[in-house]
Amino acid sequence: MIKVENVSKSHDGGQSFAIKDISFVVPNGQTLALVGSSGSGKSTILKTINRLVEPTSGLVEVGGENVANIDPVLLRRRIGYVFQEIGLFPHMTVEENICIVPKLLGWNAEKRKTRGEELMSLVGLPPETFRYRLPSELSGGQQQRVGVARALAVDPEYLLMDEPFGAVDALTRETLQEEVKRIQKHINKTIVFVTHDIFEALAIGDHIGVMHEGRLEQIGPPSELLQKPKTDFVHNLFARPARQLAQYGSALQE
Amino acid sequence: MSLRELQTFVGDRLDEIVLRTSEHVMLAGLSTLAAVVMGVAIGIIAFRNERWRSSILAAVGILQTIPGLAMLVFLMTVLNRIGFLPAFFALTLYALLPIVRNTLTGLANVSKTTILAAEGLGLNAQQQLFYVRLPIAAPFIMAGIRTATVIGIGLATLAAFIGGGGLGEFINRGLALSNTRLILLGAIPAAVLAILADLTLSAAEWGLKPVSRSSSGNISGSNSGNNSERPVSSQILSQIVLKRCALALPIVLLSLSLGLYTFSHGPLADVPVRIGTKQFSEQIILGELMAQVIEHKTHLKVERRFDLGGTMICHGALINNEIDMYPEYTGTSLLAVLHEPFIADPVRALYIVSKDYDERFGIRWLAPFGFNNTWALIVKADSPKFREITSISGLEPVARQLEAGLTAEFAERDDGFLGLSKTYNLHFGRVRDLDPNLVYLAVSLKQVDLAAGNSTDGRIPTYGLRALKDDKHFFPPYQGAPIVREDFLAAHPDAGAALSSLANQIDDRTMQTLNFEVDGLKRSPASVAKAFLQSRKLID
Repeated sequence: MIKVENVSKSHDGGQSFAIKDISFVVPNGQTLALVGSSGSGKSTILKTINRLVEPTSGLVEVGGENVANIDPVLLRRRIGYVFQEIGLFPHMTVEENICIVPKLLGWNAEKRKTRGEELMSLVGLPPETFRYRLPSELSGGQQQRVGVARALAVDPEYLLMDEPFGAVDALTRETLQEEVKRIQKHINKTIVFVTHDIFEALAIGDHIGVMHEGRLEQIGPPSELLQKPKTDFVHNLFARPARQLAQYGSALQE
Repeated sequence: MSLRELQTFVGDRLDEIVLRTSEHVMLAGLSTLAAVVMGVAIGIIAFRNERWRSSILAAVGILQTIPGLAMLVFLMTVLNRIGFLPAFFALTLYALLPIVRNTLTGLANVSKTTILAAEGLGLNAQQQLFYVRLPIAAPFIMAGIRTATVIGIGLATLAAFIGGGGLGEFINRGLALSNTRLILLGAIPAAVLAILADLTLSAAEWGLKPVSRSSSGNISGSNSGNNSERPVSSQILSQIVLKRCALALPIVLLSLSLGLYTFSHGPLADVPVRIGTKQFSEQIILGELMAQVIEHKTHLKVERRFDLGGTMICHGALINNEIDMYPEYTGTSLLAVLHEPFIADPVRALYIVSKDYDERFGIRWLAPFGFNNTWALIVKADSPKFREITSISGLEPVARQLEAGLTAEFAERDDGFLGLSKTYNLHFGRVRDLDPNLVYLAVSLKQVDLAAGNSTDGRIPTYGLRALKDDKHFFPPYQGAPIVREDFLAAHPDAGAALSSLANQIDDRTMQTLNFEVDGLKRSPASVAKAFLQSRKLID
């Protein structure tokens, strides 16, 4: 379970806030999709969970433990982290990238190899083809698959995904979204997924949280947000998929 | 020079070429190796302490601006010794800048996203450095090492000035003897070494780059089927092996030359007599004479540590027991070493230096060779400017229109230019600093009107020059004599006896002739010394 309570972050000592009074809970095995435009603070709130950002005030708990009391290095090993720019290590092969943390934890070569193969298969990269590839020899989508596999290497209980598919083309993105759903069925992690794309949020999230100008406007199951939007912003955001459904639906009928 | 001559010229010196080359590789290689260890460490420290970064870079940069020779002499003084060690330290300091700078650049250039990923995965600062930043920076660092090595191989030629060995020995000797062939014998192998080192290190740089493992180079993602059929692993394996070999190449070559170095140096215990000289022909001839009488009259072996870079270097080496003896001149010791006032009487000058050297340094002046090599102002014999001028006094009215070439040593000495210009009221229009070995050529080529030289120099007759008469008897006596450590004489009385057989054998004329044979006729100092000793029946 991830619990965020009244978390605020200010970069100028309280004059203005990047995020203000954010509270939510992600129950175990659930996926929360945080959706919002750029600058809405969705990445910032994500980073307070693995302490890449320290909140100005408020409480963040992971598995019932206050993260402020956990050594950041140990905390991050329990929480997989995937982000848009991926940040694969350019000097390491796919296998080495995936198995870096197991290696640092002192796993033996055989165990690492097995784990690497398992993960490559899980994210849809046949090990016999991709094991020895360098990141520069992969497409954007393949790189992000490696990024996901790397984040899962030591089987963390939690997964933070920060616009992971923001930089890949629409078709690939859709495939990857489906894959995340599929993977999630296998591994059953607790996931916070940040996106600016309402369609992606709908595709992935059990719950959706809408971020706007540093505040969490509304959080709940997609149907609830569509039917009972608390603010105009949420209403407008959900009007689009509904409208498009009608549009494309009629186009396909003709 | 015919091919045959070239063959003999190189063939005769083959052993020494091997020795000097291996010394050179040792100097440049070991100093670069030390600089890599220090430089990478400093680079990391500078990277981690942003506040100190610019100060550290500035400090390392300043080291680089110190002239090579000044650095060598400074370190020699600080370390109180000549030879390999100060040269090694100087080269290490010079090699630092490119390595530190490239380490810093390489570490700082790692992309922010890569570091964010490392942080997000839970790598601590140490792990980020060793698993991410350093490997990614490695090609940069390697490029810095390459630059440092090539610079180091060039600079290592200076080590010979302080008896550090290396190919600079040939260059120094060539300069001392005005022998272009000898200069090239040092310069060409040094250039070849630099090119080879650069190639070797560029191979290592290639070896550092990650192995490209997709055998077909096919980067389009989805159609992976055609790749998997190939025997990928064997190709990758051979590439990995090749890269590892390339990476090991510099170390292997360095170890090889270390072996060669130890082999060609032989056991050091066999070399009890170390003879030094300054870096000009006369000194080298005298050094050879001393070496050969000792070799013929005793069973001792001689190590020739010739071409040391000047009086203070020789003196320091003798005091610090780096050499056992070298030929010195009374006037030089009196004024430059003892800082005694000028003494015109040669006998009294010899008495004073003998007494002082004995009391202060434990060094004995043996009986002089017999000549007086004092300073002289040299002009071109057929120059119309000096048609009516035979003595230094005659220069006074025309001095302002003249350009003089002085050696650095002469320019700064009371018994040199400082005193001379006072005594004769000389104010030259322009004064240029010249290498001691270039002054005669410079006058001969009319690059300068006159220059300070040595009265016994063989190049005076060879280049069509003449010396102006010292009509006010300003220049002090400079009688040449072997000076030897007293503890050495006590341990090897037979060597002392051998040296004393040279007493009064060489007058001014003889010295000029010997110098001429080397400078003018381009004969080797060893053969000139041998012929002379045989003619005097001093050796068989």
